[in-house]
Amino acid sequence: MAARRVGVERIFSWSALDEKTRVGLLVCIFLMVAVAPAIGQSIESGWEFRESGTEQNLNTAVIVEHDNTKTIWVFGNQGTMLSSNDLGNNWQLHEKITDSNIIASDSYAENVVILSSDGGVFVISENGSWTYLGKIDSTNELTDITIISEGKSGIIVIGDNGNIWKSSSSSTDDDVLEWYQASNPLDSKLLDIAFLDNEKGIIVGEEGTILYTEDGGQSWDFRESPEETRNSDLVSVGFYNPFRMFAVSSEGQILSSTTEGAINWNLVEIESHGYDTSLGRSINSIEVVSASIILFAGSNNYLSVSLDGGNIVETNLIPQDVFSSFNDHAMIDYQKGIVVGDNGVILWTDTSGKNNLVGFEIPDYNNFGDFVEYSDDMLLDGFKATVKIVGFGILFGFIIGVLLAMLKTAPATLKSLIEGKPSIIVRLVGGGLSITGIYLFWNGFRGFSELQLNGIEYIFTPVGDPHGFALFGIGITITFLGILFISSDGKFSKIKLGPLTFDPWKIRPLNSIATVYTDFFRNTPLIVQFMFIHFGLSLGMEAQAVYENIIGPIGNDGVDYFLLGESAFISAIFTLGLNSGAYQCETIRGAISAIPSGQMEAGRSIGLTYLGTMKLVIMPQAIRICIPPIGNEMVNLVLNSSLAMVIGYAELSRQGRLIIAVTFQVFWAWGMVMISYFVVTWTLALLLRRLEEKTRIPGLGISGGS
Amino acid sequence: MADVVLSILDLEKIYPGGVHAVRGISFDVHEGESVAIIGSSGSGKSTVLRCINRLIEPTKGVIELRGKQINTPNADVNNVRSRIGMVFQSFELFAHLKVLDNVTLGLRHVRGMSKSDAEKVAIEVLERVDMLERINAYPGNLSGGQKQRVAIARALAMKPEVILFDEPTSALDPELIGSVLQTIRGLADEGMTMVIVTHEISFARDVADRIVYLDNGKVAEEGPSSIINEPKTDRLKKFLSSMHEDKIIENVKKES
Ligand SMILES: Nc1ncnc2c1ncn2[C@@H]1O[C@H](COP(=O)(O)OP(=O)(O)O)[C@@H](O)[C@H]1O
Ligand SMILES: [Mg+2]
Repeated sequence: MAARRVGVERIFSWSALDEKTRVGLLVCIFLMVAVAPAIGQSIESGWEFRESGTEQNLNTAVIVEHDNTKTIWVFGNQGTMLSSNDLGNNWQLHEKITDSNIIASDSYAENVVILSSDGGVFVISENGSWTYLGKIDSTNELTDITIISEGKSGIIVIGDNGNIWKSSSSSTDDDVLEWYQASNPLDSKLLDIAFLDNEKGIIVGEEGTILYTEDGGQSWDFRESPEETRNSDLVSVGFYNPFRMFAVSSEGQILSSTTEGAINWNLVEIESHGYDTSLGRSINSIEVVSASIILFAGSNNYLSVSLDGGNIVETNLIPQDVFSSFNDHAMIDYQKGIVVGDNGVILWTDTSGKNNLVGFEIPDYNNFGDFVEYSDDMLLDGFKATVKIVGFGILFGFIIGVLLAMLKTAPATLKSLIEGKPSIIVRLVGGGLSITGIYLFWNGFRGFSELQLNGIEYIFTPVGDPHGFALFGIGITITFLGILFISSDGKFSKIKLGPLTFDPWKIRPLNSIATVYTDFFRNTPLIVQFMFIHFGLSLGMEAQAVYENIIGPIGNDGVDYFLLGESAFISAIFTLGLNSGAYQCETIRGAISAIPSGQMEAGRSIGLTYLGTMKLVIMPQAIRICIPPIGNEMVNLVLNSSLAMVIGYAELSRQGRLIIAVTFQVFWAWGMVMISYFVVTWTLALLLRRLEEKTRIPGLGISGGS
Repeated sequence: MADVVLSILDLEKIYPGGVHAVRGISFDVHEGESVAIIGSSGSGKSTVLRCINRLIEPTKGVIELRGKQINTPNADVNNVRSRIGMVFQSFELFAHLKVLDNVTLGLRHVRGMSKSDAEKVAIEVLERVDMLERINAYPGNLSGGQKQRVAIARALAMKPEVILFDEPTSALDPELIGSVLQTIRGLADEGMTMVIVTHEISFARDVADRIVYLDNGKVAEEGPSSIINEPKTDRLKKFLSSMHEDKIIENVKKES
C-alpha cells in the first residue's frame, strides 16, 4: 500500500518550526504589543451649539421642504416660533400667533401644523403666514398632533383620558375645522402619535398604552405591551417602516416591534447597559432615522444614539456650557439634524449625534498596565465564550460532516430502493408522494401571490420568500418522485426527451439530499448564514422556547443555563456546525474513497451489512487518515467563529470591540484578541497532532506503506 | 454422491459498461469437494465468484445454496454471505484491527457472539492456520503470506458452508506461496467445501477434486484433476503451456 494522504495541505506550518523558534516568535509578538505606543483618541461631542436667540423652552421641531430648500421649524413656550433655512446656522424669530405654549407640531408636504396648550390648532406655510384651524374644546390636557394628508382634514390630536380628536373634512372652504372624537378602547393619557403613511399609525401613552390604526385613525386597536412596561409611561414612538417600530418609556425602556401591524412588542435588553432593560435615564423623545438607528433625547442633558435597534446605546457628549432637558429632534436625514431643549437650546449634528473620535492622547488607558487591568476580564470572558462555541461547533460539525459523507457515499439508487417491492405498494407510495408534493408546491406558490408584488420585484419573488421558495422546490421534487413511482412498471426504463436520455432510476436520493445541503452551505457567505439562522429562523430563541415548554424555565446557572441560556450561543453553534459540516463532509468523503473498495467487499463478505461495514471497517480507517485535513477545517472553524459577533454573541472579537469602545486602545485591544485566537488555534493544532500520533496504526494512512 | 452445496445454472454477467464477462456458466459443487477454476486473465473467474457471494448481481441465471436460490431480491444477502467465506487476492484484512479482532469482527457483529466466545473461536482457527503467535499484530506488520493465512482464518471462523478463494497466492512472493497453499491443502484434507480460483496449476491438480477451465466467459472444459495432465481441448492445452512459459519467465525475472 502506497503512502496516502488525503486532501488539503496544512494551512500554517507552525508545527514545522521547532520549539525554540515558536517560543521566540511568541515572545516577539507579545513584546511588540506590550511596548507599542499608546495611540489613544479623545472624544468630542457630535453636537454643535447653535444660537437660537431665545431663552424660552423649546418643545418641538419639524422640517418642511419647499422648492428644494429645507426649512426647520422650532416651537416653544409662550408662542415662540423659530425657523432656519440654512440647516440650522441662523434662526429667525417669528411674530407670535398665540401666547400659549406650543407643545407639539407635525408636517405634511409644505404644511406645518402646531398645537398650543390651550387647544389651538394652526397651520403655517413656508413664508411664515398662518391660518387658525380652530380650537379643540377639551377639558382634558392635549399632548400631541399629527397631520397625515394634504389639506386640513387629516389632522389628529391626542390628549389625556384617551381622547383622540380628528378634524372633519366636511367644511373644506371654511378654515375653521370641526373636531370629533375617534373611538378608542382605553382612557389612559395618550402621549405621542406617529404615522407611517396616511393609514398606519401608532399612539403610545401612560400605563404602557399602545394603540394601532390601519384606517388613518378612524378606529384604534389595543396592542399589548410587554409585561415590564405595563406601568410605564410610553412617551415617544417612532414608526420607520411596516416592520420597524420603536417606543420608549419615560424611564428609558426601549420597546421594539418587528411584526407587521405592530402585533408583538419586545423589551430590548440593552447590551451596553449590562443587558439591563432600561437606560436608567429620564427620556422625553426618540427619533427613528433608519431601520436600526435611534436617537434618544432626555432630561438632565441626556442625548444618546443606538446604531443597532437599542442593543448598544452610546451616550453622547454634550458641548460645554450647555445644560438642558432635550425635548425633540428634527432630522434631515439619518445623520444631519437638530435637537431642541429647554432654555432655548438648539444643537446641530451631522453624525447622528455620535461622538467624534479625535486622534490625540487620552490619559485613561494609555498605560499598558491600566489597559490590561480594565480589559483582562472582558478578554477572558470572550476567550471562554469563543472556546465554548468552538468546542460545541467542532463536535456538531464533525457529526454532521460524518453523516453527510456517509449519505454522499451511500450507493442506494432509486432503483435499488424499490426493486423487489410489490408494485402495488410502490404505486401507493407514489400516489401519496404526488399528493404531498402537489400540496407543498401549491402552498409555496400561493405564498408568492400573497406577497402581492406586481413590479420588477416579481422576478425576485421566489427568492424573496425563502419559505415559499423551499416549499416550491421540495414540492416539485416530491411530485416528480411520486409520478416516477406511480409509472414504474418494474422495467426501470430511461426517460427519453428527443435526443436526450435521462435515467431517473440512477438517481441516488441520499446523495442528492447531501449535495443540495453542502452546495448551499458552501456557496453562501457564513456571515449571512449567521444572520439568517439567528434573526431569520430565530433558531436560538425557538430552541429556548421548546425547552421551556417541555422541561421548564431555564435557570440562571447550571447545565441548562450553560447550554441554552443565551439564544445567540445556540444559533452560533448551529451555524458553525452546519457550515463546518458542509466542508468537513468533502474531506471525510475523500478519505472514505481513499479506502480500497476491497475493504467494503471484505466486510460484506463476512456478512456485515452496508452500514455495519461503514461503521466498523470504513469509517474507523477513513477518520484516522483524515485527521490532518479535518484539523484544518477545525482551525477554520475557530477563525470563522469571530463572525458570531454579528448576532451579538460576546466572543473574542466582540469583546475586543467593546474594550475599544471604552479604552480607545485599538492596537493593544486587537493585538490581544489576535493572540487569544492564536492560542486557541495553536492548542487545537497541538491536540490534533497528539490525536494523530495516538491513533496511528502501522500500514494505515500517512505513516507509510505495508 | 454427496449433497450439492452450491449450484450455478446458466450464469451470465454483463457489466454496466457493456462487457460481457460471463456468458452462461453452469457447475455444481458438492459437499466436501474442492473445485479449482482456472483460466486466463479476464476470462471471468472473479466475476463468477463475486456473483456467488452476491458482491455483484448476475444479469441472468440461478445460484442455489443448498437447494435454495440466493440471487433473488428477497433472499437475505447478509445471511447468504455469512454462510459463504471469501478469500481475496489482496487479503483485504481490516488495517485498523489487530489479527485477533480481524477474526472476531464477524463473529461478534454478525453471529452476535460475546467477546470471549468469539475470541475462543478465533484462537482455534488462528491455530489451524498457524498464526497463533501474531494475534496482537496489526496487518501492516505481517508478511503477505501471514496476511493471507489470517484472511483464511477470518473466513473459517464464520463456519462457512463453502469458501471461495480468488487467486489467494497471486499477490505473494514465491517464497511465501508455499505456506498459504499448505494451509488450503490442509482444509481440503479436512473435507472443507471450496471453490479456488488459482494460477497454481500443479496445486490445482494435486488438491482439487474437479477442475473447471473458463475461457472467454464460458466453461471450455470441465473434469477431474486428471484433465490437467491430459487436456481434451486445444484451448486448455494452449493455456496450460502458456502457464508453463509464464512460470519460467517469472522465475528468470526473480533470479536476475
Ligand atoms: N467492475 C467491472 N466493470 C466492468 N467490467 C469489469 C468489471 N470487473 C471486471 N470486468 C471485466 O470483466 C471481464 C472479466 O473480468 P474478471 O472476472 O475479473 O476476470 P478474471 O478474474 O478471470 O481475470 C474482464 O474483461 C474485465 O475487464
Ligand atoms: Mg480475477
